[in-house]
Amino acid sequence: MQNMRGMSTLPVLLTAVAVVALFLFPNFVESTYALHIMILIFISVIMGLGWNILGGYTGQYSVGHAAYFGVGAYTTIVLMQYRHIAPWYGVWAGIVVAVAVALIIGSICFRLRGPYFVLASIAVAEIFRVTALNLKKLTNGAEGILITDIPPFKIGDIVITDFMSKVPFYYIGLVTLLIAIIVTWLLQNSKLGYYFQAIREDQDAAHSLGINLTVYKNVALAFSVVFTSLAGSIYGLYVGFIDPSTVLALDLSVQIVMICIIGGIGTIFGPVIGAVVLVPFSEALRSNMIAQALIDSGLVNENSGFGSFLKEQLSHAHVLIYGILLVVVILFMPDGILGFIRKKLLAKRQKEAI
Amino acid sequence: MAILEIKHVSKFFGGLAANSDVSFEMVTGMIMGLIGPNGAGKTTLFNCITGYYPPSRGEILFDGHRMNGLHPDAVCKLGMARTWQKVRPLAKMSVVDNVMVGALCRTNSLSKARDMAMEKIKVVGLENRVKVLAGSLPIGERKKLEVARVLATKPKLLLLDEVMGGLNPAESEEIIQLILDIKHLGITQMVIEHDMKAIMRISDRIVVLNSGEKLAEGNPQEIVSNKAVVDAYLGGE
Repeated sequence: MQNMRGMSTLPVLLTAVAVVALFLFPNFVESTYALHIMILIFISVIMGLGWNILGGYTGQYSVGHAAYFGVGAYTTIVLMQYRHIAPWYGVWAGIVVAVAVALIIGSICFRLRGPYFVLASIAVAEIFRVTALNLKKLTNGAEGILITDIPPFKIGDIVITDFMSKVPFYYIGLVTLLIAIIVTWLLQNSKLGYYFQAIREDQDAAHSLGINLTVYKNVALAFSVVFTSLAGSIYGLYVGFIDPSTVLALDLSVQIVMICIIGGIGTIFGPVIGAVVLVPFSEALRSNMIAQALIDSGLVNENSGFGSFLKEQLSHAHVLIYGILLVVVILFMPDGILGFIRKKLLAKRQKEAI
Repeated sequence: MAILEIKHVSKFFGGLAANSDVSFEMVTGMIMGLIGPNGAGKTTLFNCITGYYPPSRGEILFDGHRMNGLHPDAVCKLGMARTWQKVRPLAKMSVVDNVMVGALCRTNSLSKARDMAMEKIKVVGLENRVKVLAGSLPIGERKKLEVARVLATKPKLLLLDEVMGGLNPAESEEIIQLILDIKHLGITQMVIEHDMKAIMRISDRIVVLNSGEKLAEGNPQEIVSNKAVVDAYLGGE
């Protein structure tokens, strides 16, 4: 486990430089596409960090976190669209509703362990999706909700932002992400962090050491859901459209878990690395950038059978390629990319010591 | 004064009586040996006492509290701690972090917990393994780690389930010394053990279980000369 004494100066310095660079990024980069990708990465990191508290630190592998993402998004947007409550209040309402719902579900599902908990979490998320599809008066069903406009954010009479460009979303995402990282760090260096990890390592042993399993699993879930719900609200506001098949989908639940597994679960920067790898990758696949790049580089002839196959089919195959990537990571880097790098560094250091 | 009273405790799994009508008392500061052939119900009795199962019948009193129906975490907070026959290290946490989890039962401050943990690590003699991951320790050191971890919860009563199982004679000897050291700290202990020589040396009193029932109780001399016990172990006519 890391602690303050264990942190060397170089990573701290690098992190500080990265943070400053991220804050200045919109001043130098005008491409809205680049900003778009960054915002998607931020949202993925936030939801990954949220899942990581429950899945990575406490060892409760929920494959139903889309439920909380969706509840956050729907609460914020329904309040804004139908009740004219500004989203900076609605976001908090979203968190409150999502946490309340999560604690009810948690009190029931945390009786289950291992694969049974995973199955229950999937089932619960599906219940939410089907409910949202059918509660047409509240959620507009499968048609989803299209946001007309977001009211400008004012303090007194001064307009802070009118949400007309992507830049405000960039900063909202970045600040939320930094808060999520700080909260994870604080948790990791507290009694809660120790208890979460003890539960992950061995529930019966943890129980016998005075840890109330139900209470601490629910505490982990609450922290986890705060960030998952925030990610959902920011996503809904940013994209401007939500429907059950995007914000409550099983795909999304799986993607949240994959971000963490690929980056490295139970670490602060694992979800960051996972999102930085996965989001641009899937975006490149979807927009056919990879097939185009292969053709442009002359590796594949556009007119050959293989070339036209790639051009037509590769973008549809992103789920397949995701799957292959996951298998590769689990086989060759069981602790994720971050764990893999750490192991290599450790081996190198030991070699030097000899 | 009795710190633990077991009164007519029975535990049934379906039709099987894993414990039936077991009664005995433990006095503060003593070491009670709990022996019996495989399947005699020793670990089941441990599980009933420490809250993993509620006893089907009977009553368990610890330090004046009725324990029936309390969960293991509440049992630990009251000052009763146990180790496991099959060791349960928190594998991906370091030795000191493992013991700190125990210590956090009594404090919310990490630095206080760390001090308490270091103290207990010294008691069991793992001072030069502090930062090693628990999962990479050999079995002998894992057993010691378990003892340090439960000591850190500041127990009044410690239940040790086969802490010498799978150890070589030198390691067993270290554990025997450790149990005697813990006795000097004023902690009452109940010990399940298969090594008869060891149990005779350390126990003040011994309870023998056979097929879930209490077969005999007495000091070590009485137990070795008890005909029913000898029959249960060596097979009677």
